[in-house]
Amino acid sequence: MQASRARLFKEYKEVQREKAIDSDIQLVCDDSNIFKWTALIKGPSETPFEGGVFQLAFSVPEQYPLQPPQVRFLTKIFHPNVHFKTGEICLDILKNAWSPAWTLQSVCRAIIALMAHPEADSPLNCDSGNLLRSGDLRGYQSMARMYTRLAAMPKKG
Amino acid sequence: MSTDSVVFAFSKESAKDFGKKKRINRSAKLKQCKLDARREQWLSQVKNKGGKEELVGGGGSSISSMPVNLLGNSEAKSRGKDIERLSLNDSDMESSINSSIHSILGSHDLCKDSVGSSRGSSISSISGGCYCESGEEEEEEEADDDDDGCADDWETVADALTASDKQHHSNLGNSVEIKSPVVSTASKSVDKGCEVDGLKAQCDGTVPRVTAKGHAWRPDDAFRPQSLPTLSKQYSFPMNAERCCGRGAGSWIHSVVSQPTSCPICYEDLDLTDSSFRPCLCGFRLCLFCHKRILEADGRCPGCRKQYESAKGEVVVNGGPPPFRFTRSFSMSMRS
Repeated sequence: MQASRARLFKEYKEVQREKAIDSDIQLVCDDSNIFKWTALIKGPSETPFEGGVFQLAFSVPEQYPLQPPQVRFLTKIFHPNVHFKTGEICLDILKNAWSPAWTLQSVCRAIIALMAHPEADSPLNCDSGNLLRSGDLRGYQSMARMYTRLAAMPKKG
Repeated sequence: MSTDSVVFAFSKESAKDFGKKKRINRSAKLKQCKLDARREQWLSQVKNKGGKEELVGGGGSSISSMPVNLLGNSEAKSRGKDIERLSLNDSDMESSINSSIHSILGSHDLCKDSVGSSRGSSISSISGGCYCESGEEEEEEEADDDDDGCADDWETVADALTASDKQHHSNLGNSVEIKSPVVSTASKSVDKGCEVDGLKAQCDGTVPRVTAKGHAWRPDDAFRPQSLPTLSKQYSFPMNAERCCGRGAGSWIHSVVSQPTSCPICYEDLDLTDSSFRPCLCGFRLCLFCHKRILEADGRCPGCRKQYESAKGEVVVNGGPPPFRFTRSFSMSMRS
């Protein structure tokens, strides 16, 4: 308990210090609860998610960093490894490949990398996964771009 | 070996100095004769042995130009004293030089889990071999004198570790400057041919001593770019022996150099014990607390995600280069 808290404080400081460096990631800690974080990540360029800003919700367990944080998308995203309804993310480093050396920041980076490199063979979003697996890259991209426009971009007008 | 030649050249220089002052002391002369004889003996030994030895000797010869500075430094201190005292100093200086080496080795020990302890013995036996019997005697004498020098150097090492005031180093500064070239030459000779042969022992003898030296002076030298390349070469040698990756080497230097890196798990600063703690072959380092917590949990190394093995120490001993492995396993059994 205490260890996770101390570590999260350290991470918080680190985040504050590196704010300017990594403009793609904005990690914000809940004002009242250090175990709840939200992150805003920019969709990586040259992907259908480019231009979108996606919100992530972190729920950090007390055993952190021995246990991985639970992360899900709050913003709708059309991605084979993200559950369309719940925003759950299928990412190995959030499950069995977690290492205590990872930080919330590095988890964000991993998620950005996942957005750029969808893994169609273990889909949480079957529609998206099927599009990719059937080789319909164009269909996948247009769907993903549409949802990015709908959900992850500021509304015009 | 390298330091031996330093000692030789040094004593030779000091003897010359007496001549300059026209007050030749009999004991000094006698000493000089002895030293010359020993030197010749040593040189002939060098000739007898093969190219490997010449490499080492080469390191030594280039070193022998340094002691002039060294002398100049120490002379300034002792000039005021009368000759008899000087002639005594002859051996005293030797001892102080050697003692500083010992103490540096000691600091190396601290940082590297008493890696040097087993090496240290091999060194002394080697240098004894080079000297022949009288050399050994002297070494024993020096052992008595070691204490003072040791204490001084320990303080400076401690200073270096905290790296708070550089003023303290200034008194050591000169000898530091002199020694770092020694380090580079010797390490080069080692790099060329310290593999598997009968002379390995001798090469080995120089290596830890030399690296240890560079090691202890690091706080000063970190800001001297021209010496950095040779240093990295030096460091890479023991690190390779440990089969640690480059990252490990970097962090090792860091931890030695006064700014301890923090544990990547809890972000607390690594203390001295932690910074010499290497639980995994992958080189990933963490503090003892986190290591324990991980062992209680899934027991996988955060760096490579492989299972920590509690009995790994013993397995490792049989594998690699004996001294390093042994001490490492020793530290494991101490701590885990």
